[in-house]
Amino acid sequence: MPEGDSNNGSTKKVANGLVAASCAAVLTVYTAGYIRTKSAVDRFEAQAAERRAALPESKRIVGRVDGPRSAMRTEPATERSSRHFPAHDAARAPKRITPALPPPPEVKLLDPSDAGEPIALDVSRLPLASDPGSQAAVLPQPPASPAESTVEAVAPAPSAPKWKDGTYLGWGTSRHGNIQAEVVIEQGRIASAIIAQCRTRYSCSVIEQLPPQVAQRQSPDVDYVSGATQSADAFYFAVVDALEKAK
Amino acid sequence: MPVSTKTAMGTLVTIEVVGSGEGADELGAAMDCAFGWFHEIEERCTRFNPRSELMQVCSCSGVPVPVSTILYEAVRFALMLAEESGGAFDLTVGHRMEKRGFNREHRTGDIVLSPITPDDDVSFRDIALNPDRKTITLRRPLTLDLGAVAKGLAIDLAARELAPFQNFAIDAGGDLYLGGSNAHGTPWHVGIRHPRSDGQTIASLRVSNQAVCTSGDYERRSPDGQHHILDPRTGENPDDIASVTVIASGAMLADGLATAVFVLGPVHGIQLLSRLAVEGLIVTSDLRRYVTQGLQQVA
Repeated sequence: MPEGDSNNGSTKKVANGLVAASCAAVLTVYTAGYIRTKSAVDRFEAQAAERRAALPESKRIVGRVDGPRSAMRTEPATERSSRHFPAHDAARAPKRITPALPPPPEVKLLDPSDAGEPIALDVSRLPLASDPGSQAAVLPQPPASPAESTVEAVAPAPSAPKWKDGTYLGWGTSRHGNIQAEVVIEQGRIASAIIAQCRTRYSCSVIEQLPPQVAQRQSPDVDYVSGATQSADAFYFAVVDALEKAK
Repeated sequence: MPVSTKTAMGTLVTIEVVGSGEGADELGAAMDCAFGWFHEIEERCTRFNPRSELMQVCSCSGVPVPVSTILYEAVRFALMLAEESGGAFDLTVGHRMEKRGFNREHRTGDIVLSPITPDDDVSFRDIALNPDRKTITLRRPLTLDLGAVAKGLAIDLAARELAPFQNFAIDAGGDLYLGGSNAHGTPWHVGIRHPRSDGQTIASLRVSNQAVCTSGDYERRSPDGQHHILDPRTGENPDDIASVTVIASGAMLADGLATAVFVLGPVHGIQLLSRLAVEGLIVTSDLRRYVTQGLQQVA
């Protein structure tokens, strides 16, 4: 079978009216859509960067991790590189849906006690792509050895912030839409948090496991959800917004 | 290599991005946006949903209707194509398509009929646009059909979303846009389906940063066996051509031209493509091939 090479744009005549019109139409529609969503996208990107930068510098501590923990930390990268996707033939290859992977998680020390003491490691922020609904695992940490690698870990929030009792609403945005959270504060603690309004393009059922985490953790710092990172971020910011009003 | 498939516009849409999966978050977001365009455009431009923006316009003939940028640009391009092809492509064939039995919503299977019975002689000349106010006026009652244009527009917008990733393929029911190169670092190979023999290709192309769209008489037949392309000037199925493949800078252009060329027939079809400096391959019902200058090797 003969093969033709149609990629010879340099020899083509100057684009005529219809060809130019098709390009212009695509550009016009794209630009209109871009303008409409640009501010939201920018806001989203700034927020996402902020969230991923985690807590302020003053709250960071340096901890030592052992072998197994280092391995866990690199898990997402390993998972990405070992994924086998169909090689090149889109027409014949099996179709697969790839969820958006969350960013590499942070290792969080729940109890930054003496290095020699066993402490708990919260791996809840690790992406659980195969089982997003599973509960966060808390693994005991074997004694650290000085020879091993050092990673930055994040200390827990200090004592519970002083929130005023009441019911507070807050909005969080993403490029797929907005989420309103309702947070109830009782006796200075988060008694409950729910999704009050779901105005995202996708159903909020994908992040239904997140609201209970707010009261459990007394913090807006909920899990990332593989395939729903943007909804999860929107919920996070909605809770942050609500808690701001409770201060 | 990330691949994702979703249903949109009555067909399967597959997006494949060449790469190791680095920047997965950005890629995921870009893919979401790319698929988002398919849904957005389908919602506005389908004639299978009486509440779509397109059908709202169809139900308000005689008055200027302000419309979205998407619908305005799709109609504007369709009108230019109609003009350029001398009416071989005509976006007012909607009601004739309905009459031929192309009247089912692809998801529900519900029959959708527009509440209008246009005159048989309506044409694209019964549509007026106001570029300042972005309005569409239908001078007579008629049903618009943007099938050939809307899917191409969605593919082109998806390609724009994926442009930062350079090497990618978008396949919407056989209408393709191929960005950059494949996983081997060479231009994408595209096989052109043999119109009379399932599973066989009649030609093979190598394509980069271009759209490839094929209109065949083998796809989408109505209940009484007629195919989905009508000659707007006669209301009949053209019977000279089995398939038309157009390779162009964008899928909206390629898809629209494939439809127009199908109606024009091999000789006038090749003339139109040559005039526009767009490449194409025509296979007639008796399996003769007609190609444009740039595809002589394929013939």
